[in-house]
Amino acid sequence: MTRTRAPRELRVIGLICSLAFAFPGLYLIWRNFTSGADPLGLLFAKETLEPFWRTVRLAVLVSLSAAGLGTALAWCTTRTDLPFRRLWRILLPIPLVFPTFIGAAAFIRTLNPGGLANDIFGSIGINETPELRGLFGAWFVLTLFCYPYVYLPVAARLRQLPGSFEQSALILGDTAPQAFRRIVLRQISGSLTAGTLLVFLYTISDFGAVQLMRYDTLTRAIESNYLARPPMAFALSLILLIFAGLVVLAERSVNRRLPEVKSRRVSQPMTYVLGRWKAAATALVGGTLLFAVLAPTMALVDWAADGLLRTQRGGRPLTIDPSKVIEATTNTLSSSVITGFVALMAVTPIAFLVGRYRDRIGRMTHSVVIATFAIPGILIALSLRFWTIRSGFFGDLLYDSMALLIFAYVVRFASLAMGTALVAVKTVPDGLHDAASTLGADRWRRFRSVDLPVMRPGLLAAGGLVILSTMKELPISLIVAPIGFPTLTTRIFGSFEDAFVAEAGIMAVVLVCSSALLSWFLVLRRADHL
Amino acid sequence: MLNRLLPLLITLTFVAAACGGSEQLQIDGLAAEINPEECVDGSGKEVTIYSGRTENLIEPVLEAFACATGISVQVRWGSSTQLALLIGEEGNRSPADVFLSRSPGPVGFLESKGLLGTIDDSVLNLVGEENRSAEGSWIGFSGRKRVLVRNIDLVSDAELPSSVFDLTEEKWRGKVAIPGTNGSFVDWFTVFRDQYGTDVAAQWLNDMVDNDARYYPNNRSIVEATGRGEIEMGLVNHYYNYQEVAAAGDEHRARNHDLDDDDIGSLLIITAATVLDSAENSGAANELLAYLLTEPVQSYFTNRTFEYPLAAGVQPNAALPKLSALEIGSVDFDALGGGFEETAKIIEASGIQNQ
Repeated sequence: MTRTRAPRELRVIGLICSLAFAFPGLYLIWRNFTSGADPLGLLFAKETLEPFWRTVRLAVLVSLSAAGLGTALAWCTTRTDLPFRRLWRILLPIPLVFPTFIGAAAFIRTLNPGGLANDIFGSIGINETPELRGLFGAWFVLTLFCYPYVYLPVAARLRQLPGSFEQSALILGDTAPQAFRRIVLRQISGSLTAGTLLVFLYTISDFGAVQLMRYDTLTRAIESNYLARPPMAFALSLILLIFAGLVVLAERSVNRRLPEVKSRRVSQPMTYVLGRWKAAATALVGGTLLFAVLAPTMALVDWAADGLLRTQRGGRPLTIDPSKVIEATTNTLSSSVITGFVALMAVTPIAFLVGRYRDRIGRMTHSVVIATFAIPGILIALSLRFWTIRSGFFGDLLYDSMALLIFAYVVRFASLAMGTALVAVKTVPDGLHDAASTLGADRWRRFRSVDLPVMRPGLLAAGGLVILSTMKELPISLIVAPIGFPTLTTRIFGSFEDAFVAEAGIMAVVLVCSSALLSWFLVLRRADHL
Repeated sequence: MLNRLLPLLITLTFVAAACGGSEQLQIDGLAAEINPEECVDGSGKEVTIYSGRTENLIEPVLEAFACATGISVQVRWGSSTQLALLIGEEGNRSPADVFLSRSPGPVGFLESKGLLGTIDDSVLNLVGEENRSAEGSWIGFSGRKRVLVRNIDLVSDAELPSSVFDLTEEKWRGKVAIPGTNGSFVDWFTVFRDQYGTDVAAQWLNDMVDNDARYYPNNRSIVEATGRGEIEMGLVNHYYNYQEVAAAGDEHRARNHDLDDDDIGSLLIITAATVLDSAENSGAANELLAYLLTEPVQSYFTNRTFEYPLAAGVQPNAALPKLSALEIGSVDFDALGGGFEETAKIIEASGIQNQ
């Protein structure tokens, strides 16, 4: 492979990005100094270590199960003759859009003892359902919320694998599972580890689900100390961030040993005939959707319907009207789609630096971008306010602007696009590039006519991941958004906090429907085909 | 051509925008119930509010205020904790004039950072001494009472306890939910310490943990779980069960139970309003606080959101249990400045969050 030095402009962009993404981390370090926090002293204290190990245990379990589930779903929906594949591909990314504070509550409302599904369970002879709580509950719910982080990049990669390798292996006498292990798994390993890393980082930073499942992790300890003991909250957050940084470095060193993937689909991908496995595969996909999408949606619809019926009966009127729903939906869609585009513009140069030029600045930026995903959203929001208020004229200009909101969203979620964008860059065949170069195409022309067409579906998938996640973001939407810019999530939060469950349910159903619409659009644009 | 048209267009846009601004404000629904009068013309004054009280409850009040005074209102909605942190970070450059908090804790946080200004005496005097700060830095404008919520199918009226101290008995083992790390519980526990001494309060919490009290993250999740029968009873604010019953009626199987009037478990916890020290519009801010304490607004709070009124001689809605003698304002809240830190330590050490 040709290993030329990275163009200077690209390295400058990389450097700027790494600075931009380092804001929250630098803020955290600064606050540790100024608040008299003692992260080292806390590191080995019992009240840190216990929640820390619980956090790690949960994150490992969720990573393993989400990796397995996400890969299985991706394989079933891309490489087999499973019926209704296109419908499944539209529905499977939806769990990304549930804000965990209401998603987990909806799970509890449906599945826990006395819940909405109680009668259904009873009618099929299940009288004892386990209560969703503690480690089990947190693992169950987070696996269902997080598998799309693995499913989307792996599905994208699987669609792109040439079928010829597997065909050769099968002809040479491998069984299908052997071929999967020896050929397919090696080819998807980059996407798989990148996706699993996101699951791990998301799990250690989640607060909404773990608190409702009553599983005491570091984020709970951070959350309940913000006001009472700020130095402790800052120190624990720093410990979380440093741990995340170590995990990112570990993933990178594993990733570096993985086989080079330089293949682009020329022949049709293998399609396996499921035969007698069809029922099992359908059960897996259907069961996942049943629990991950239908169960929480059932509670949301129930809340919404209760409220609407109540209004019909002349009870308390709803506090929202269609115009408010439309306003919040427009705000949510516009801000998340813009964030998706900006995030792609930020990560693509970094992906080029790392994937094509193996540039040191690129690798550093890549790590900073991904580790930032483990910082709780509220700290990102506070850090941006901290920096803008201390930067005079420009800060005043930015404060209360859409630009700052988009920037905050990008810092929070660009990590989601990073891995997929990197895989997309790596899969552009060198030969194609060299040929274009020989023919006299300059760098910009090569990018437009060679790189972009090959990468486009992958970038779309990466953007989709960012967009769906941005739609559910809460703390940044509350703290950084311009005053008078409600999103669906902020409205859901406001209603749910004070037990206006009907209003929260209606908004949440709209959120799920809008995400399905976006997902449909992305599938239509073949974003999941890479 | 375009060169000449462009300035004209820009001017027109501005004129249109200016006209839009002076258009007569129209309000309807709950806001019109609070202020049935015609709206007055815009006064050109404005006030920026950071509100930890949620939109569904407070927006009608703010609309009515804008209509009645002509002051334009800007609101950032959020959770009280996060908004207090935001103001803490913004310091004296915060654009906020007023901070509305759902519970006293976040107000204490801002007070300890010296970010609260002094409210005008004329406004302070609208509420009783027990519901305002001795330093004049905050006022209470509505109240939520601590109660025991219980599932009516699982716990009969006859066996209901009369004090939080009864809950450590063997018969309630594993049956009581506590929102251990929730803001309103932390505030309540701080007053508990102040009234009974730290030893008694800490002992009670440890006994509750020994008695397998179960941890839930917040009031709402306890009321929901009690309604399903997942847990028999729980210590919460009275407010949430009213909302659940209003939504689901008899299908919701939980009701509030009032502990004895003089029991610490019947404490009234206020929601507080403050004016920031850095407020640029402190005049309008004081007008807003005064408006919160007027008769129509206080009536709205008790009749529409089922909270306790604190001013203007408004009586609590008949559906609400009568008020106990204890109110959080009557405790020297200001003196508890560092109290929250100590409370957090005790709660953390009790291990309730792992129950």
